[in-house]
Amino acid sequence: MSQIPSTIADYAVLPIAIPPTPAYQVKTTHHVYVRPHAPKLPTVDDSRSLFLVNVPVDSTSPHFRAVFASLVGAGRFESITFESERKNAPSSAILAIEATRGKKRKRASEADVELDTGLPQTWDRALHKSGSTAIAVFADEKSAEAVLKAIKKLHKSGKGAFPVWGEGLTEKVPKLGSHRYLTHHKMQYPDPDLLRASVDAYMMEFNRKEEEASQMAKRMRNVPDEDGFVTVTRGGRSGPARRDDAETKRLELEEKEEKKRKEMGDFYRFQLRERRKEEQGELVKRFEEDRKRVDAMKEKRGKFRPET
Amino acid sequence: MAVNPSKRRKLDHEIQEDSSNEAESKQVSKTKSARLTNHEDGALYSGGSYKSNLFKLQVDEMLAEVKPNYEKRLGFISDELHKLKGLIESIGDRDPLSVQDAMKAFRSCNITIPFPDPKPSLDAAYKLSYARPSKINVSGSYATKTMIKSDSTISIDLIVTMPPSIFQDKDYLNYRYFYKRAYYLACIAAGLQTGENKLEYEYKNGNKLHPILVLNSKAKPGHVTEIHILLAAPEGLFAESKLRPERNAIRNKETIDSESFASVHTPFYNASLRSDCCVESYLKLLHGSSKQSSAFKDSCILGRIWLRQRGFGSSLAAGGFGTFEWSALIALLLRTGGPQKRALLSSGYSSYQIFKAVLHFLSTTDLLKRPLVLETDFLAAKLGLPMIYDGQRGHNILYKMTPWSYDLLRQEAATTSKMLNDSTFDYFEPTFIIRTNHLLHRFDCIVRLEVPESEVTKTLCDAVSGTRNFSLRLYDMLKEGLMDRVTLIHLRETVPERWPLKSPSTTANEQELVISVIFNPANVDRLVDHGPSAEDKKAAAKFQKFWGEKAELRRFKDGSILESLVWPAGSSYSIYQNIVTFLIGRHFGADAIASLEFVGEAFSKALPTFLTSGQLFEALRQDFQKLERDIRNLEDLPLQLRQLSAISPSLRNSSIHPPSFSTLRPLADPADVAIQFEGSGRWPDDIEAIQRTKIAFLLKIGSCLEETNAEIISRIGLENDRQALQNCAFLDIFYPSGAAFRLRIQNDREQTLLERQIKGTVEDHRARTDAVAALAYYKRLFIHLPLLNQSIATHCTRFPFLSPTIRLVKMWFDRHLLSEHFSEEFIELLAAHVFLHPMPWNAPSSAMTGFLRVLFFLSRWDWRLVPLIVDFTGTMTSSDAATINTRLEAWRKVDPSMNRTVLFAATNHDTTGTAFTSNGPTKVAAARMTALARSACKIVKEHGISLDYKTLFATSLDDYDFVIHLNPKYSKTFKELSASKQFKNLEVQSNVDLELVGLDSVETYVHEIQERYGETVVFFRSKTGTVVAGLWNPQYGPRSFKVNLSYATRPLAVGDDQEIVGIDKSTMLAEISRIGGDMVMKIEVR
Repeated sequence: MSQIPSTIADYAVLPIAIPPTPAYQVKTTHHVYVRPHAPKLPTVDDSRSLFLVNVPVDSTSPHFRAVFASLVGAGRFESITFESERKNAPSSAILAIEATRGKKRKRASEADVELDTGLPQTWDRALHKSGSTAIAVFADEKSAEAVLKAIKKLHKSGKGAFPVWGEGLTEKVPKLGSHRYLTHHKMQYPDPDLLRASVDAYMMEFNRKEEEASQMAKRMRNVPDEDGFVTVTRGGRSGPARRDDAETKRLELEEKEEKKRKEMGDFYRFQLRERRKEEQGELVKRFEEDRKRVDAMKEKRGKFRPET
Repeated sequence: MAVNPSKRRKLDHEIQEDSSNEAESKQVSKTKSARLTNHEDGALYSGGSYKSNLFKLQVDEMLAEVKPNYEKRLGFISDELHKLKGLIESIGDRDPLSVQDAMKAFRSCNITIPFPDPKPSLDAAYKLSYARPSKINVSGSYATKTMIKSDSTISIDLIVTMPPSIFQDKDYLNYRYFYKRAYYLACIAAGLQTGENKLEYEYKNGNKLHPILVLNSKAKPGHVTEIHILLAAPEGLFAESKLRPERNAIRNKETIDSESFASVHTPFYNASLRSDCCVESYLKLLHGSSKQSSAFKDSCILGRIWLRQRGFGSSLAAGGFGTFEWSALIALLLRTGGPQKRALLSSGYSSYQIFKAVLHFLSTTDLLKRPLVLETDFLAAKLGLPMIYDGQRGHNILYKMTPWSYDLLRQEAATTSKMLNDSTFDYFEPTFIIRTNHLLHRFDCIVRLEVPESEVTKTLCDAVSGTRNFSLRLYDMLKEGLMDRVTLIHLRETVPERWPLKSPSTTANEQELVISVIFNPANVDRLVDHGPSAEDKKAAAKFQKFWGEKAELRRFKDGSILESLVWPAGSSYSIYQNIVTFLIGRHFGADAIASLEFVGEAFSKALPTFLTSGQLFEALRQDFQKLERDIRNLEDLPLQLRQLSAISPSLRNSSIHPPSFSTLRPLADPADVAIQFEGSGRWPDDIEAIQRTKIAFLLKIGSCLEETNAEIISRIGLENDRQALQNCAFLDIFYPSGAAFRLRIQNDREQTLLERQIKGTVEDHRARTDAVAALAYYKRLFIHLPLLNQSIATHCTRFPFLSPTIRLVKMWFDRHLLSEHFSEEFIELLAAHVFLHPMPWNAPSSAMTGFLRVLFFLSRWDWRLVPLIVDFTGTMTSSDAATINTRLEAWRKVDPSMNRTVLFAATNHDTTGTAFTSNGPTKVAAARMTALARSACKIVKEHGISLDYKTLFATSLDDYDFVIHLNPKYSKTFKELSASKQFKNLEVQSNVDLELVGLDSVETYVHEIQERYGETVVFFRSKTGTVVAGLWNPQYGPRSFKVNLSYATRPLAVGDDQEIVGIDKSTMLAEISRIGGDMVMKIEVR
């Protein structure tokens, strides 16, 4: 590791000095790759954002605030969003609920009570995947540019000038190690009342959404589409109440049919003949299979020699 | 002769026609017979005369493999044999000499005459002489072409038949025949010694009456080939009737005087003599049989392999039942032995049928109680020896067998018969391939004993050795004393060695005896033995005489007064040890005790807190039953309880550390329990909503329990916060006794909903994989685990040693840092497999055999091709097994590089085979398991009974790239262990801290780094230790830059191409150390 390249592809390489720990007393340098943010779907903040690749797993906003402050001075950095936060956005079900909730809120202003349907958090600090990405947002376009410039300069001035990871942050971020796990353990057992409230809130939202969906379905039942067809939906007078009930019924029916077919299997002569033929074929097939298996054994296991 | 030329022509024509007809018919018959044989072959394969196609095909392969190429490998030997024959025939006759002169004559040419003990008296009246042998023949398996390739040497028997002229009528008495035989052998030795041949004496089959010459052939380097020169007596030299088993042929001066010799039998001496006389007739018999039945040879080879794998051989020490006895038995049974003196075996049987029938015969007939006498009318007296008396040749072919070797033979035959009759599984390997005679695999306890010198040198009436006489007595005594505590007692004697021509035979006076037993798990740890009733005077006296001061007269609860024995309480080993030591001391004196050395207990002592099984887990089980009662009695629950199932290793007797808790120190790891309610339509139709509803339910259960019993404490906890589809909450319940349970609710609808989500056309790929994972989680937790828990718990009661075996195997996996890769359930299945499918042995009856056989199984298990199948109920059919096999094959076809499924472990509850192996191990870990098991088995084999169990459990950190040393302060098990070592009165002072129950920082830490780095690093860890070892995945080398790499990288300045990045191991290790913080003491990079 003689010389660190200052750029890779169209990324600037931001070296960060990692101080040794008592357990791992090696001074290392972590490399974060930085470039102006240019997503496929542009947003308003793109010009003042930077896209970061290969961030350390224990990154937090204060960490990067410190790094950027050491590069371009305080006050330039605004916020950072990590990959895990973007991807770990609630899965589709919650999204749907939240979407309806949003709509509802817009439409009906009486639902102004703050409803938190999520479960209580059990971690005090998130860890990220190794090699993952983040988007840092700065105060303005100039600050973002200044950061890139400062990175370039960094390579010239050498190792001593690298920003140091986690310097002066011991108080600002939750501690890792045993403390983290103890906290997690404690947070795992939230206050029952809080939990009950959260569950109630969730169920209320859920019921409201269900209700809405059924209303929607009801409405759909009478609305013909542009071709003049009415879509058949569940919940009509004759429709089964539950989908799985229908499923079990169908399985039962199939079973009955099967049984019927089997019972009549040896009625005609040709059936008997065919069955016999089938059995014979089966025997030949099994023999071939066995032979293949023995060959495979021979090939993989070596010879059939009694052990010594 | 001009008569009717036309007629003649016609005749001619006819003849011609005839001959052509004949030719035609010949051809027809030929094709017919060809078709017939084809057809027969077809019948063989289609399952008539063989167990299954698979079995038959494997047997064919094996037979082809073991038969040596006689032309190639042994072609040279016939020349050599001819040469040898010529040499022997050219030895000149020697005039009769007295014993003294003969010894003198041979001393000068540096040869000792191998006279048997007792040595002939020097002033004997008879003379020893040598004359040209009447016949020289090749015999044994070389002659019958039934040899098998074995790793050891190939030996060829050359039989030299002595001429009748050198013997007299009365020579059968008092060893005279054997003295003359020994002299004759010495003469041959002297004749052959002149050449460059290397000659040695050996006892044939360890029988001291039968010294032979062994000649090492150097004709072909590479293979060691030996020629054994045996001596035979001419046929009909002595009358058969004089040498029957119950006759006496050794007459001392005293017995002659008192004329009571008729009451002393010398069966061994007689049979040894008869066997010399019958050599040629048996040769004829075997030859005839191979003519009579085409399958004879192959069945002999099968028997030979079967016996060899079980450690049987013709020699006295190996049990006295070897290839010769096996072949002779088949030959006899092909002639007779059946009802009404008809043949028991048909000559049309296939080799497999003969093999199976002979095993059946051996296992079902008790030749000790009912000697089998063939083709003669005389009724054999019961001499307490197994007997098959071949009347035609006048010989008991089992004369070398002992009661214990016969017992073992019968048990082995019965076990193999059982295997061959099983239609579900293929038992080819246990029948022929696996070597079963390893002491530590076969027996539960092994005792070494020095035979007292006075016993070795004792002179006896029959020609058996002093050691044999001693071991016979020892066996009878142990059999009587141990009663039904053991199912098998086996003794092994020292094998006599070869010795050079010049010195007398080297029978050491220090003889070691190895006593091995198989326990009967139901009875071995019984503390009180009931003897005969006091009223039965005769039996009581006998009992008292046998047990001495140990026998006590006791009155029992049912009012009976019995002679009885009381042993001090302890493990099964200590009780067994007490009894054996007492018996040997009482019957053979204190000297014999001093040399006793017991092997076998060490393994069960290796376990943390080993008590007799069951007890350790009883307390928690009782509290579980209480929990079930308490929950059933709750009235306020909105739904009816259907079932409460235990799903924790500590509730099925299989956790390494038994659950330990007390009022002040609650169970550190709450035992998992699944609860299921009656179905209801009121559950929501959405998985996430179901999970949330469960929280409300758990809260309700908790508050209800606390209401009914104020001493119960409950708390609700969250889990799986990142998987919305999986169970998100559990309820911890603490009982005042210290027992703790973790309750999770099962809801059937989850499965339906998840399956629908997987089947349905969900466009989101992630949602589907989430659903697949959630379904696997659900099935494992709520379907497979309850069933497994029940099966394992049941079988732990059925087999008392299953529980310690499981715990030992888990400990083994743990010590080798594999416990993160292999689920506990999979390990339980492994152990259960060894108990439920113990072939070729019977179910283990000690922790040692259980554990070692699991290792043995692992070392041989080819998991690429073979599924692990555990049939808990014994109800699987061959088609079930076939389905499981097909499924494995399908997996291997879909995923040939084994990225998803590596091990396949099916049970009758789960034929998918992946319930407990879908989350690992990886191929690397599985390969490591096999490698470790193989090296462990090698150690076991090499060290034998002097094995130190610790070597099998020693952790090696040499093979890893880096090692993380953790501070033991944070390890749960460490804390637990130190707590349990504390004094009870110290406990009182500390407070009950329920809040920290279930905290395992180390485990959470390891899971966290595994989640971050699992793709680039393979972690190995022991759950009880404080070391985490890592291996870098070699797949990740330098590569071109890309955004979404799953590991930390650093740019590499390689050449002009600047877009190369490499894995940044150093920063990753720094991260690992930062995440661990104060918990990590040191990261050691190798």
